[in-house]
Amino acid sequence: MSGEEVDYRGNVPLWKQLSFDQRRQVKRAALYVALTLGLLIVLFPLFWMFSTALRPQGQMFTTPVSLFPRELTLEHFWALLDQSLFVTFYINSVIVALGVVLLTTLTATLGGYGLTRLDIPFKRTFARTILFGYMFPPILLAIPMFLLWREIGVMDTYIGLILAETAISLPFSLWLMWKFFQTVPYSLEESAITAGASRFRAFYDVALPMSKPGMIAVAVFSYAVSWNAYTMPKVLMVTETKWPLTIGIHSLTQQQTVYWGQVMAASALVILPAFVFVYFLQKYLLRGFRAGGIG
Amino acid sequence: MSLTDLDDKTSHSISRLQSATDSIFEFLSRKWVMISITVVPVMALFVFVNLVPIGWTIYASLHSTSIYSPEWTWTGLSNYGEILGDPAFWGSLWDSLLFAGGSVVVQLLAGLSLALVVNRSFRGESLVRAIAMLPYLIPTAILGFIGLWIGNSQYGIISTLLMRIGVIEQAIPWYGSIDWAMPAVILTSSWKFTIFVTIMVLARLQSIPEGYYEAATVSGANAYQKFRDITLPNLKGVIFIVVLLRGIWMFNKFDIIWVLTGGGPKDATTTAPIYAYNVAFNSTALGKAAATSALLFVMLILGAVLYFRVLSPEQEVRVE
Repeated sequence: MSGEEVDYRGNVPLWKQLSFDQRRQVKRAALYVALTLGLLIVLFPLFWMFSTALRPQGQMFTTPVSLFPRELTLEHFWALLDQSLFVTFYINSVIVALGVVLLTTLTATLGGYGLTRLDIPFKRTFARTILFGYMFPPILLAIPMFLLWREIGVMDTYIGLILAETAISLPFSLWLMWKFFQTVPYSLEESAITAGASRFRAFYDVALPMSKPGMIAVAVFSYAVSWNAYTMPKVLMVTETKWPLTIGIHSLTQQQTVYWGQVMAASALVILPAFVFVYFLQKYLLRGFRAGGIG
Repeated sequence: MSLTDLDDKTSHSISRLQSATDSIFEFLSRKWVMISITVVPVMALFVFVNLVPIGWTIYASLHSTSIYSPEWTWTGLSNYGEILGDPAFWGSLWDSLLFAGGSVVVQLLAGLSLALVVNRSFRGESLVRAIAMLPYLIPTAILGFIGLWIGNSQYGIISTLLMRIGVIEQAIPWYGSIDWAMPAVILTSSWKFTIFVTIMVLARLQSIPEGYYEAATVSGANAYQKFRDITLPNLKGVIFIVVLLRGIWMFNKFDIIWVLTGGGPKDATTTAPIYAYNVAFNSTALGKAAATSALLFVMLILGAVLYFRVLSPEQEVRVE
């Protein structure tokens, strides 16, 4: 151990007494402890959501509380479907999400292509404006939209909500498609054009199929924006039967008696599609977002 | 009619159909047509849903109008005067700063450490990364409902567990206590948004050439020195982006705070967006709310100018 550091008492510090392998093991152990702690923090709220959703009402408030339900039940799910407008909320969320995904993906894909390939003035200014638009927080747009939507008569309508949420999903989506088309080599389109294809044919048959990962990334992103939106529908949707899930479930937590089993069951049902999407689309998402400069 | 005739006929009609689509495609390929079907729709949509509302905010801020009547009365700058003279507005700015500052610190520290840990290779690496992504997929409002339940004042599992191991003696209403509401809201939202920092930092970490570290090891640098002299300088840029963007977003965050505390108790968590919402929909003073939004927009522009000045974000992108 010569040459090792020695503290003021003349002792070699404990850490330095360990062999190289032992030190590595200690580091490994510390890494795993940190990871386990992190995973616990991430997973516990989700675990507790499921544990509450599947627990009989009678075991909700027992002391001492048990981490796992002693028996599993779907009673909260049935009650939710039965006693609340949950199905209506779900349908509303799906309608609005479809609208936002279609509108965003269509316009962002075409626009991204045009901005990459065509010669358009003020591109740089437009790029900055889009990035600035991406910083807009929903609440700052929601208040003027309330006033504007009332003037043009789309307040409290699906169309109004779809437009409002597109404001949140569009800037980033357009940016992503713009960047994505820059990674699609123009030479392929060029050779198609040389072979006699028209400009639009080259876009439609060559560039568009190659932009699929980008489009999927945009579709998933805009779906998530719409599915998760709270602020826009909170401000713009008045009629209860037109509420999306987020607003509808929130109303369940504001009643005199809150049935937490039902609230957690509803939350679980809102979260599930996101997991399914991301699981199946992982490889596309990675490629798509990476082109956008994220991954 | 023979079979060959029919074949001829079909192929003829097919080729006619083809020439028809060809001529449509031909038409679509003209430059101005290309521009008007690709760039114009998205620009028009962007202007309508993003830029017009800002203009409308400024226009509305010069008027007095309420939820119940569509009447607009010109009031000049008096809305701004009222807002700037309202101590509650300044209080809400302070709360927004607290919330944004606290969130950025927590998210940066947690996100940075997570990135440094996940950047090593270990068994179950991809599973860990997948799990770490989970919170980002949870809708913010849903996170709010889960938070309300686990932080419940009577039956919340957090209080129960902490009481069991003897850290606290009484259940604490985390979101309902003046002292705890702000930290609780900060921690809850950081649960979701930390991964944003991790993703950005991880991307940059992986672009640092391995050779730097090898060279440092050969010259006898220890782990801390390598972190200070190689890792940190390389992360400077990304840390700046993350602090700025997360700061702007958290400053203007509405949904999570609204669900968890509604701005309360009293005004302990009434940040600027909550203040604007209350002015609009509780006091029904929409003109005044528009003036508040306009003021917040000015701050947003300051942030954006800083962002564009310091970086060339045309090359950089981030995600929320």
